[in-house]
Amino acid sequence: MKKINPLVALTGAALALPAIAADQPTSAKLSFLSSTYHEKDIKNSTILSGAGKRYDIEKNQFRLVTPLGENWSGDLYVSQEAMSGASPWGTFDGADDESSLIMSGATIRDKRTQVNLSGRKYNEDSSYGFTLTRSKEDDYSAKGFGVSGEWDLNNKLSTVSAGFSFSDDEIKPVDALKFGRIEKGKKQTRSFAAGWTQIINQNSILFTGISHTVKQGLLSDPYKLRDTRPSKKAEWTLSFKYRQYFENRNAALHADYRLYNDDFGVTSHTAGIAWKKSIGDKLKIAPRFRYYSQSEADFYAFGDNYSLAKTEAQSSDHRLSGFGSTTTGVQISYELGKWSMKMSFDRYSSKNSLGHAESEKEHPALLDFTLWSAGFDLEI
Amino acid sequence: MKLLIIKLCFVASFFTSGCSSVEPWERGNLAKPEMQISGDAVDDLLLEQVFYSKEAASGGIGAAGGGCGCN
Repeated sequence: MKKINPLVALTGAALALPAIAADQPTSAKLSFLSSTYHEKDIKNSTILSGAGKRYDIEKNQFRLVTPLGENWSGDLYVSQEAMSGASPWGTFDGADDESSLIMSGATIRDKRTQVNLSGRKYNEDSSYGFTLTRSKEDDYSAKGFGVSGEWDLNNKLSTVSAGFSFSDDEIKPVDALKFGRIEKGKKQTRSFAAGWTQIINQNSILFTGISHTVKQGLLSDPYKLRDTRPSKKAEWTLSFKYRQYFENRNAALHADYRLYNDDFGVTSHTAGIAWKKSIGDKLKIAPRFRYYSQSEADFYAFGDNYSLAKTEAQSSDHRLSGFGSTTTGVQISYELGKWSMKMSFDRYSSKNSLGHAESEKEHPALLDFTLWSAGFDLEI
Repeated sequence: MKLLIIKLCFVASFFTSGCSSVEPWERGNLAKPEMQISGDAVDDLLLEQVFYSKEAASGGIGAAGGGCGCN
C-alpha cells in the first residue's frame, strides 16, 4: 500500500478546506476526558460559621463527532459531574478583617448531567449548524438551542460567522421552606454572536468577534442569605484570537483577548497565551497562561446589609467583587496510531490585588483551585 | 461601552481586510490542528464552565454549553 506523506495529505486537506471555517469531518472521532477539580479550603480564621471545606468535583466528558452522508456532520456531547463541599452564604463586615464569612455546611452534594446534540450542513462556501442542549442537576435544569452559520469570502481568505442561542433555565432550591428561600425561579438567556476570521499570511490568522447576551429572570443567588440582583442583565464582549505558526520551531502561538462589559457595572479583561509545540510526529506539549481581571458590580458590598429592603439590589458574592486571577497550565498529548492520549493540569489563583480595579477589601471567599484531566481521542 | 466595542471591531476589520493573498496551496500550516481558532472542544467546554462558575464575565469564547446552576 502506498504510504501517504503526511505533509502532502495535510496540504491536500487544506486545498479542499475553507481556509478557517468549520469543515466536514472525514472520519468519526470519539473523545473522552475525565477531570478532578479541587478547591483550596478556606482559612478557619475567616469563617464565622459553617464549613471551610470547599468544592471537589469529578467530571467525565464524552464526545462523538461523525460525518453523516456527503454534507452533514453530527456531534453528540455528554458530560456528568459529581460535586461536594461548602459554599459561601454571606459575609459580615465587622471591624476586624478576620471572621467574616458565613459558609454552608459541608454536606452539599449534587450531580449534573449535560447533553448537547449538534448537526451541521456543509456547502462549498458556507456551513449551517444547530445545537440542542439539556442540562439537569438536583435543583437546576436548563434547556436550550443554538443556530449558527459561516460564510467564506474573498477566495476563502475570510470567514464571517454568526450565531444565536437561547436557554431556558429553572431553579428549585433545596430546603426552600426550611431556609425561607424562593421555591422556584426561572431565567432566560438570549445570546447573539458574530465573528470575522481573516488569514493574514501563510502562518497567521486572526479572529475578531462580538457577542451580546441578555439574561432575564432570577439572577440572584437563592442560596445566599441576602442577595438581590436586578432581574435583567445585558452583557457585551469583544474578542480577538490570534494564531501564529513558527515553522522553525514546529509550534503555534495562541494569543487571545476578551473585553467584557455588563450593565451590572462589571468590566473585565481576559488575556490568554499558549505555546503549542510539536516534538517529533507524536508528542505535543502546550503550556498555557491566562490572566483575568474584573471590576466590582455596582451593587456589590463586602458585607450583607440587613437594613436594606429585600427589593434593593445588593450582593456580597465574591464573584461580583473586583479581583484578578491567573491560571497556569500545560496540556500534553501523545499519538499512538488512531489513538491520541492526552492529559492536562491547571492551577488557578485569585486575589484582590491582581485585579485592574480591586475592591476595597479582599473577599475571603476568593479561591484557588487545581484541575487535572486525562483522556483520549480515537479516530474510528 | 457598546460604541467602543463597535468601533474596535471596525478598526480590526480594517486592518485585517488589507491582508496579502495566500493561495490555497500555501495554507498547509494554517490547516494544522494546532493553528485552529477553536481548540480541543472537550477541553474548551471544561475550562469555560470552570471559569464561568468562578468569575462574573462569560461569553465570547466560542464553545457552546448548556446552562448550569454554578453561577
